[in-house]
Amino acid sequence: MARSILTRLLLMIPTFALVMIIIFVLVRLLPGDPALALAGDRASDAELATIREKLGLNDSLLTQFVLFIKATLSGDMGRSILMRAPVSAVIANKLPITIFLAVYSVGLSLLIAGPLAFVAALNRGRWPDTLIRTVFQIGLSMPVFYIGLVLLTFLAAKLRLFPVGGTGIGLFGQLYAMFLPAMAIAFYTSAIILRNLRSAIIEVLDADYVAFAKVKGLPPRVILGRHVLRNALISTVTLVGLSIGNLMSGTLVTETVFAVPGLGRLMLEAIFARDYPLIQGLTLTFAVLVSGVFLMTDLFQSWLDPRMRQ
Amino acid sequence: MMLTGRFKEALKKPGFAVGLTIVGASIIVALFPFAFAGHDPTAMDYTAINQPPSLEHPFGTDTLGRDVLSRVIWAYRVNIPMAFLATVFAFVIGVIVGALVGFHRGIADAIFGRVVDAVITFPFLVLVIAVVAVLGPGLVNMYVAITVVGWVYYARLTRAEIIGQMGNDYASAGRVMGYSNSRIIFRHLLPNAISPVIVYWMTDMALAILLGSSLGYLGLGAQPPQSEWGVLIAEGRNFVTTAWWLSLMPGIAIVLTGLGFSLIGDGLADILRPKG
Amino acid sequence: MKLFSTVAMIALLAGSLSTAWAQDRGGVLNFARYDGSKLIDPIYADRNPDIWMVMNLFDTLLTMKDGVAIDNLTQSHAVSPDGLTLTLTLRDDIKFADGTPMTGADVVFSLDRARNKDLTSWADLISSIDTVSAEGNVVTVTLEHADPAILSMLATFSTAIVSKAAFDAAPGATDQEKSAAIFASGKPGVGSGPFYLSGFSQGATMDFTANPHYWRAGADGKPLPYLDGVHFEIIPDDATRVLKLQSGEVDVAELIPFSRVAELKADPELRMELFPSTRIIYAPINTRETRTDGSANPLADVRLRQALNYATDKDALVALVLQGSGAPMSSPLMSSQTPLAADMSPLYGHDIEKAKALVAEAGIQPGTSLTFTTLAGSADDATVFAALQQMWAPLGVNLVVEQVDSATRGAKNKSGEFDIHTYGWSDDVADPAQVVGWLGYNPTANSVGTGWNDAAFNGLYEAANAEVDPAKRAEDYRKMQEIYAEAAPLLWLFETPYAVAMSKKVEGYVQLPLGVNKFDEATIKQ
Repeated sequence: MARSILTRLLLMIPTFALVMIIIFVLVRLLPGDPALALAGDRASDAELATIREKLGLNDSLLTQFVLFIKATLSGDMGRSILMRAPVSAVIANKLPITIFLAVYSVGLSLLIAGPLAFVAALNRGRWPDTLIRTVFQIGLSMPVFYIGLVLLTFLAAKLRLFPVGGTGIGLFGQLYAMFLPAMAIAFYTSAIILRNLRSAIIEVLDADYVAFAKVKGLPPRVILGRHVLRNALISTVTLVGLSIGNLMSGTLVTETVFAVPGLGRLMLEAIFARDYPLIQGLTLTFAVLVSGVFLMTDLFQSWLDPRMRQ
Repeated sequence: MMLTGRFKEALKKPGFAVGLTIVGASIIVALFPFAFAGHDPTAMDYTAINQPPSLEHPFGTDTLGRDVLSRVIWAYRVNIPMAFLATVFAFVIGVIVGALVGFHRGIADAIFGRVVDAVITFPFLVLVIAVVAVLGPGLVNMYVAITVVGWVYYARLTRAEIIGQMGNDYASAGRVMGYSNSRIIFRHLLPNAISPVIVYWMTDMALAILLGSSLGYLGLGAQPPQSEWGVLIAEGRNFVTTAWWLSLMPGIAIVLTGLGFSLIGDGLADILRPKG
Repeated sequence: MKLFSTVAMIALLAGSLSTAWAQDRGGVLNFARYDGSKLIDPIYADRNPDIWMVMNLFDTLLTMKDGVAIDNLTQSHAVSPDGLTLTLTLRDDIKFADGTPMTGADVVFSLDRARNKDLTSWADLISSIDTVSAEGNVVTVTLEHADPAILSMLATFSTAIVSKAAFDAAPGATDQEKSAAIFASGKPGVGSGPFYLSGFSQGATMDFTANPHYWRAGADGKPLPYLDGVHFEIIPDDATRVLKLQSGEVDVAELIPFSRVAELKADPELRMELFPSTRIIYAPINTRETRTDGSANPLADVRLRQALNYATDKDALVALVLQGSGAPMSSPLMSSQTPLAADMSPLYGHDIEKAKALVAEAGIQPGTSLTFTTLAGSADDATVFAALQQMWAPLGVNLVVEQVDSATRGAKNKSGEFDIHTYGWSDDVADPAQVVGWLGYNPTANSVGTGWNDAAFNGLYEAANAEVDPAKRAEDYRKMQEIYAEAAPLLWLFETPYAVAMSKKVEGYVQLPLGVNKFDEATIKQ
């Protein structure tokens, strides 16, 4: 067990190296100049030259890359050009909000999709199944920016049930203030979870050992709890773990629409301002986050499913 | 034989049939938009901007006095091919790469593993936005960007399926009989491994429309005056309370088409799922 | 019940009292911004969200009133007859927000910072200054050459006064580090403006608290500001910002999309303000003989550039994009709010026949393709493009769109890789030199990237900037505007106001033509 974790951790090193190389090259391929983005369109050519010099943009790409790798290894992600502050501080400031939003929306998705998936699976082919699946298919086909707009317009501005934007104070304040953005993301994730969970449950219900348990005369509640729930949980955890990358993409648009000052919005800003150090720092943060979630997913899986432990 | 039987069986299920009908109708509209649109989608009328729905303009007019229904209809020409073009290259490349590394394993597989990890640790949209920003906005560059990122998911899925199939008897039987590797992969393993990949592809088509619309919404996808649903929603979003028809109509088109592809995906999953 | 009636009595009493005095005081104003400040320091502010806030935290020596610089932190100011020496006598009741008095040493420190080329890109604004010295409350500024704009510059944000003591005490090795440390501390003392910065969360919120030592008095004779403070929330999305106001969560929302103006005007709970601004929207035209790919550039022919301007129905654009809340540009080089602006309206009034004649004269082939570069995601730019494509079709011009993000557009402007692209500008100083230097004086930035280079124009610009006779200077600027209009290196579009919507409870908030957000006389009914 410990060895497999170690192997996984070691394998992350080449992955992160690759991520850093890709992003380093990609941001420098972007047309546009960080100096210009910083100084604004008004800047004269002489001013731009000074800023470029100050930012070290005049060094050769190789020099920049070596400096960048050295600094990253020593834990220094550089200074954000746009925010004029250390990248690590800027990210540390926003990280909790984005993680909160991601966890919140996954929680909501599970709360919505979990029970409904059981209802659908147990009524397979009958009207509750059809109804639930159709509603969620629609959820799956709606762009997040559109859902966000509709939720904001009606629930927040018209009915004033929720605040239009912001993050709230305290746990309950946050849960309340971020309900709509979390819902907007949950629309999509719950649809995916429901679809997967429903077929997982059906598969288990059809499986021999459940039939055997039924024959043995175990009450349905026990069958559901012992066999179905565990197996359904395994596949759901895997799915949620794997879709964490997509979830992060979801926060990009959602945070903009709902005025949530998190990492997704920061990433968009950084890309538009050509803030190389911030883009690199954010990418690394996302990579660490997502890899961490993958690792935890695997561990959780092998904990739930002893067969995978070898 | 067996598949056609199941296909007929599946057609009896309302979901699959409805999905096929929606997508089929959408393709017809995309092929002959002029037959359905009552107006030139680019014809402006400064004297009739933001008109609510009427007999003349069933979906109203937009900020430049253009007929919204005609714009939504002409957008099928962009969005329906988008579902296909944004995914088909990723599908083909991903299946081939996934099958090869799944079959051969070894060093290529190890490298592939790192590439997959690297790509999926990026938020998908960030990578696509960055690639589009490098190449410049536009539909073709958007397809390139989605393909560059998206093939990994197909390859990953195919690889896992191939590895699963390798354990079966017929794979080792093929080796014993001295078949070439490519014959084993493409004639024996892949046909058995590909159904989940095809199901994923159908879902991905629905997602491609969403993604394309998101990019259009950010101004990185289809270029004006081309009609595209995401662009249409973006144009109408400042008018949600005053001219709701601007964003609602393309919104319905997206949901309907996405629903069509998803239903087909579900139906196919039933048809292709191994029974017994 | 009893409690209720007491509360009601007090409320009633308070209500009648406040109407008697007619002066609301206290309360925190909630303000929704489109973008956040990064660092509010007079010399390091270089983005509008920073620049426009400086004057709330800091104060300048002089201030502009009706186009003239008048005393602000000074009791009096005088210019020597040769125009080379300025004598400024400071008021003796000015205190920074922590209560320490402002002295001549602070002024010397601030002006030396503001003209230090190594620190700030705004140093050019006061490059004419040779020395700054202080004796008691009298500050003497000597100039290397006479400078007609120097008094306006002493009323400009970059020369606002900071506390030398605050900088001396701040941690950090360099001026930048000290400035950042002061900004992050959230304590009063660095500025003498009506507020001090009391809270800041990058990209999310910002708080101003009233400076209890502010020197200017309000209508009730007590010191300004009326408000206890201002709370800012950053909401980049236009639609969300408006919703935030409509739901009552904020009192003011800025940068309202023009498409929403009519709707918000009709809202009985809101007041929709269109503040006059120096903001102009225009499109630089590449005037170089060849494009960067080596092909011949039809836009090098002045007649085609003029024809495009004639073929553009600017009133229609104002109606479509601004929904009528604006006007076509009337001076080719600046907004109508900028000093010395010539009123040349209609500037290339819509005349399709003239446009066709010019195109024929220039021998432009039908089907000539031109690329129009716009900002990706901008609904306004998309509308302008769609309209221009139709307006120019009769000339045989086939207009193609290219959408890019802002950084790419800036890079294209610098490198000349464009035909025509959308652009905007608003003045930072109350003087035409800045905008004219940007749009027309080639050495600054290639005449806003167009490559247009006119020796006569450049000569006039240099002369005007050393011309102390106001009448002669105005004449130089008039000539420049004529030359520029004739050469048409721009496609002129329109001027826009600052559209700000607020709750009817809010009074006295203004945004000045230079964009400055002014909260010192704002009030909110409790």
